[in-house]
Amino acid sequence: MTTLTTLSEAALTGASDAAGEPTWLRDRRLAAYKRTLDLAWPDSRVDEFWRSTPFAQRIDVERDIVTTGGSDSPASFTADLDLEVATARIVDGALVEVTVPSALVAQGVVVTDLSTAAAEHADLVEPALGSLTSSDTEGTGAGADRTITVNDAAWTAGVFIHVPAEVEVDAPIVMQIHAATGGAHLPRVLAVLGHHARASLYLEHTSEPDTDALVDEVVEVTAHDAAILDVVSFQRWGDHVDHLALQKVQAHRDSQVRHLSVTVGGRTVRLLPETDLVGPGAETRPLGLYFADDGQWFDLQPYVRHLAPRATSNVLFKGALQGRSRTVFRGNVFVHKDAVGTDTDENNRSLILTEGARADATPFLEIECSDIVAGHGSATGQIDALQLYYLTSRGITRDEALRLIVTGFFREVFADVDLPGVEDAAMSEIDARVAAADLASFQINDASLKDHHDE
Amino acid sequence: MADLEIRGLTVEADGTEILRGVDLDLNQGQTIALMGPNGSGKSTLAYAIAGHPAYEVTGGTMTWKGTELNELTPDERARLGVFLAMQYPVEVPGVSLTNFLRTAVNAVREEDVPVREFMQSLRAEMAELDVDDSFLQRSVNEGFSGGEKKRFEILQAALLRPQLAVLDETDSGLDVDALKTVAQGVNRLSGPDLGVLIITHYTRILRYITPDEVHVMFEGRIVASGGPELADELEAGGYEGIRAAHAAGV
Ligand SMILES: Nc1ncnc2c1ncn2[C@@H]1O[C@H](COP(=O)(O)OP(=O)(O)OP(=O)(O)O)[C@@H](O)[C@H]1O
Ligand SMILES: [Mg+2]
Repeated sequence: MTTLTTLSEAALTGASDAAGEPTWLRDRRLAAYKRTLDLAWPDSRVDEFWRSTPFAQRIDVERDIVTTGGSDSPASFTADLDLEVATARIVDGALVEVTVPSALVAQGVVVTDLSTAAAEHADLVEPALGSLTSSDTEGTGAGADRTITVNDAAWTAGVFIHVPAEVEVDAPIVMQIHAATGGAHLPRVLAVLGHHARASLYLEHTSEPDTDALVDEVVEVTAHDAAILDVVSFQRWGDHVDHLALQKVQAHRDSQVRHLSVTVGGRTVRLLPETDLVGPGAETRPLGLYFADDGQWFDLQPYVRHLAPRATSNVLFKGALQGRSRTVFRGNVFVHKDAVGTDTDENNRSLILTEGARADATPFLEIECSDIVAGHGSATGQIDALQLYYLTSRGITRDEALRLIVTGFFREVFADVDLPGVEDAAMSEIDARVAAADLASFQINDASLKDHHDE
Repeated sequence: MADLEIRGLTVEADGTEILRGVDLDLNQGQTIALMGPNGSGKSTLAYAIAGHPAYEVTGGTMTWKGTELNELTPDERARLGVFLAMQYPVEVPGVSLTNFLRTAVNAVREEDVPVREFMQSLRAEMAELDVDDSFLQRSVNEGFSGGEKKRFEILQAALLRPQLAVLDETDSGLDVDALKTVAQGVNRLSGPDLGVLIITHYTRILRYITPDEVHVMFEGRIVASGGPELADELEAGGYEGIRAAHAAGV
């Protein structure tokens, strides 16, 4: 068996050939493999982007790479919606099922195995695959890190999505990524939206409750001119899964990108929702909500690079924490010297529910251009006693009032999100966590009780 | 024994004694106005009745139909029929007005009111109080104007059907038309089952809602009581007389 540290040219060549991949892809895997040999695993003491997660303590790379595949995985939350969704299902390191409604096939929409696509759609796949990960241009941050290079070399379950120019897909394209067997899972997604195309990609991550796994995932999406793209990523792992994910979008001229992550499960989740705004007038809206419980460690690093003029970015992440949990928000915004007319804002809000939880927030702005509008803010607080009083004074019990306040805290994230099923699915995850919480131990901040009005 | 019976009530906030022995009786079916200068303790009394955690009852009694209110949590008081329309209603981000009201109505009626029935009565009350439908999905009090907040307090009372309604300066910040709408809203609630304690600085609301008694609070005590004419005297002459009498130790 191969682990993340015992990859070999022979094993990679064998797997690539067995999957029927073209030579260019095999060579690319081998080149990535060579790069991994020059790279050490991240060292949280020195690597800027790993400061927030202690790699050595939390991430075990000595695990067999899982490629067995499997049949069972939980139903998608979109199953209850009356929608004809395209689905790609990855179970235990293999793409086991792809369904594409015939209407989409007729419009030329492709959802297929990435190895197959590399041969059949080489014109689309070859220039795009790895173009957002292996780059080491300025300000790319995580680009060359070994956790990503290792996926470049050894990804096992790949999905390719193509939405041709001017095609608009209403129902989401759903990718279910499920880990049942312990070990290392290396999923990979590549999506290309042609100019003026529109699509929503949902990634649903699940595991069995006791699966002990490392999921090292890379998602690359290109949104061509004026495309409208939504990426939604649900982290609903069990308590023994560590998830490292780079989900990166390249946004061309006037495209509108939104990324929404919902992180509630997993032992460690280090999520990098990144957007490179490479075309003038492009827009990105990285949104996140998370609820961390005892033992969980969420490291959320939205990264936006303004590389072209007049692009807009607006980051909003909101999280609640309880027990001995830890969340880190590290929002990075880079504004290139040519990115005149940039408009950027990033915000993070944390709600500490019980003693012992810790939320860190560091919004970073790296600005080379002066002709821009930039804002950022972060705040960490507790449940407000005055709000609690107001609700209870109307007969609502304390427990019910706490639930309303906590779920209400998250609603802002959905203020302008109108994606089928997403808000309900996200809020029911939050509801379930609040329902299971020990509400009696919630900390209440009574500062607001003291600011009485003197007139 | 009066339905609401307050005897020798002393209340502290932030370690300072604010109410210094308040006595007050109010029965269902009755309307009482409470007036008094700024800072005299009117809101403190209202909050004490409704169980606000910043106001600590240090002495005296406060019973509603024989039950000591001070031993109850705010939600228990509300379920007994106590309602406070606050002088400064609180914003609760992300909690929609509809969701909030439905949760409150179910809690107070102690039953699950069917959604249809609830929405019908909600829309009817909103129409009466001139509250636009667009408020249904808005967060509780968030971004409401001063007048909208006050109107929303009365909307809550209309749906929760309390037996004791304490209206703390519900008339402040309302324009002439809104004042009328709100006063009519209160009058629609009135009846033999509702006791109203209306705290105000102005007689203009008392033209719509006629109090049976008027009481004046000064430095944490009720220092004068009378009929509706007392309100007119205060409006004409201000609190100078009361201040002077107090300074002279009368
Ligand atoms: N939470 C509090 N902490 C400390 N002091 C308070 C608090 N609430 C009220 N006070 C003080 O108690 C006194 C009475 O306040 P209260 O709000 O009851 O007055 P009021 O009669 O309602 O005045 P107004 O007519 O201005 O509404 C004031 O001096 C006020 O500053
Ligand atoms: Mg007051």
